[in-house]
Amino acid sequence: MAQSSRSLLAAAFAAALLCGAAAPAPAAELAIPILVPVTGFLSLEGQSQRNGALLAMADAPPGLAIRHPVADTGVSPAVAVNAFEKALGEKPVAVIAPMLGTEMLALLPLALENKVPLVTISGTAKITELGNPWIFRFFPGDNVVKLAQARYIAEVLGAKHPAIIAQSDAYGQSGQHYLEAAFADLGIKPVLSETVDVEVKDLLPVLSKARAAGADVLVPHLHAPATALLVKQASALGLGLPIVSGSAMATPSTAALLDPAELKGVCAESASAPILPTAPAGERFLAEYRKTFGGEPDTYALAQYDGAMMLLDAIAAGARTPAAIREALATRSYRGIAMTYRSDGAGNMAHSALILCYDGTSRKPRIARRYDDIVALK
Amino acid sequence: MLALQLLVNAVALGAAYALVALGFVLVLNATGAVNFAQGDMVMAGGYAAVVLAGSLPVPGLVLLPLVLLLTAAFGVVFSLIAYFPLRARPPAAVFISTIATGIILQNGANLLFGAEPRAAPALLGGGILRLGAFVLPRQSLAIIAVAAVLGLAQHWLLRRTQFGRALRATAQDREMARAVGVRVDRMIAASFALATTLAGAAGFLLANQFFVTPTSGSDLILKAYIAVTIGGWGSLAGAVLGAMLIALFEVGVSAVLSYEAAMAALYAVLLALLWLRPQGLIGEAARARA
Repeated sequence: MAQSSRSLLAAAFAAALLCGAAAPAPAAELAIPILVPVTGFLSLEGQSQRNGALLAMADAPPGLAIRHPVADTGVSPAVAVNAFEKALGEKPVAVIAPMLGTEMLALLPLALENKVPLVTISGTAKITELGNPWIFRFFPGDNVVKLAQARYIAEVLGAKHPAIIAQSDAYGQSGQHYLEAAFADLGIKPVLSETVDVEVKDLLPVLSKARAAGADVLVPHLHAPATALLVKQASALGLGLPIVSGSAMATPSTAALLDPAELKGVCAESASAPILPTAPAGERFLAEYRKTFGGEPDTYALAQYDGAMMLLDAIAAGARTPAAIREALATRSYRGIAMTYRSDGAGNMAHSALILCYDGTSRKPRIARRYDDIVALK
Repeated sequence: MLALQLLVNAVALGAAYALVALGFVLVLNATGAVNFAQGDMVMAGGYAAVVLAGSLPVPGLVLLPLVLLLTAAFGVVFSLIAYFPLRARPPAAVFISTIATGIILQNGANLLFGAEPRAAPALLGGGILRLGAFVLPRQSLAIIAVAAVLGLAQHWLLRRTQFGRALRATAQDREMARAVGVRVDRMIAASFALATTLAGAAGFLLANQFFVTPTSGSDLILKAYIAVTIGGWGSLAGAVLGAMLIALFEVGVSAVLSYEAAMAALYAVLLALLWLRPQGLIGEAARARA
């Protein structure tokens, strides 16, 4: 119930910010609408994105007056487009845009037409491959993190027979594609590469296939519930195989579903580890997030916080129009909490990844390896 | 050995699906309407177990009756909101109202609990039983046992009690039942209560192994619908058979083929069934389908 109360408080906080934003604004205010998927299948990650953005707005440099109405985009491109068109009425200087790739693909032409910078944490590789100069992604795409994941498996674990188990939706297929490409880059051919639907309740069939194929490491790229289920079932089966998962296993809420012993030998790639701060700024972020939202921040919250802070930093430095902000984001470098961000020319701002591992005694991972300046897979 | 293990998992999953499908059929028979919120009732049962477990540090077996009582009461409230005010309207009004109620439940759960997956306590303690190389999850055994007990209890209730006769009379012909003194409205409300009780049990049992999220009930209504179509529209035994068949494809066939191929095969069987035996495996003569 304590968690429920915290959730209610968080919702009330968001609502209060929303109501505050709806009040008549002084002329000097700049608008940065926050369009995020807080309902539907991506609501867990979407709420983290919203929380990260809201925390950044609360931490805006002194003297900046920012109006930041929040709108839910659900998981529908049509809803996202409607929310964006409504947000245009605010005359925004930039938009915090939803992390759902299909929504971003629908918004990109509108951003180009209206010349509004989009700041997002969507991992879908394609959004920065279309030559749109108004998109800035503050989360390493699958073409970056999957390379780190594969390198850790090959170089640190020394595994040669990985079994890739991915979700069958766009998220999963993107991860599967780049994992296969990353392993090919390392001269490794997976012994199994299979997708499972998000509705699958039992992963014993695919685990038994991995075992039969002679896998020496499990490489899941699944949503949070399926990742937890896979770890739980692999542990129960006594497979004894290391697991190097996609980012879902790096989030505290996924680890909370498992016993510490079930996490032994489990690692995950992640853009960052906000619950393992290594500098005072990270400690402040962690404390502020816990105080405001009553829960643990995940990598999405921190990525969006960093992205919004770079945006606010550009405004504080004098960029007050969409074009000036776009120019600043495209050319400047920004040292955030998770990493240093700079555009690769296509709007990809994040080029680092971590591998986090659990030791089987607690639900708190440690940073096993950090990869910086990763050259993205093509 | 693996085949046996897959079979146990399939039966456990099928048993949980059967509880959902049985509740679906109960409401269908009592009202002639499809309750599209049945999957969301499963989700509500899962959250009820999570909340109760947080407040009452008692074993899962003690929590189960509390969850069943809560969800039964919720079923009556649900019928008062989503069915009774609309029953004189065209059938579409009722199934739209159940869809609307389901969406309200999903968003309410999202607001109250957040989107993070939660796990309910195990019924008989977590972990596994090892019999040589054979691994049996305790919760899978618990699901099978509880589903069997609830299924038999429902059978006894419907076949051996006056209350059950009144329920069946209402399901067969509401006007005739009313003419012979059956309190039809009470029987319909009781059908909703029974249906949500079964959904609540499924939610509790599934939320331990497979977790619960605000949207985790969405796919279950489709499975219940398909189970009922395969088994025979309105047939309780058919619903169980259909649910088991779905689980067999999900767990058994997908161990041989890919998951996508297994699901394609399931729907191919469904299509063939609709062509060759439209009344379903255990169905009677075709009835009007909502």
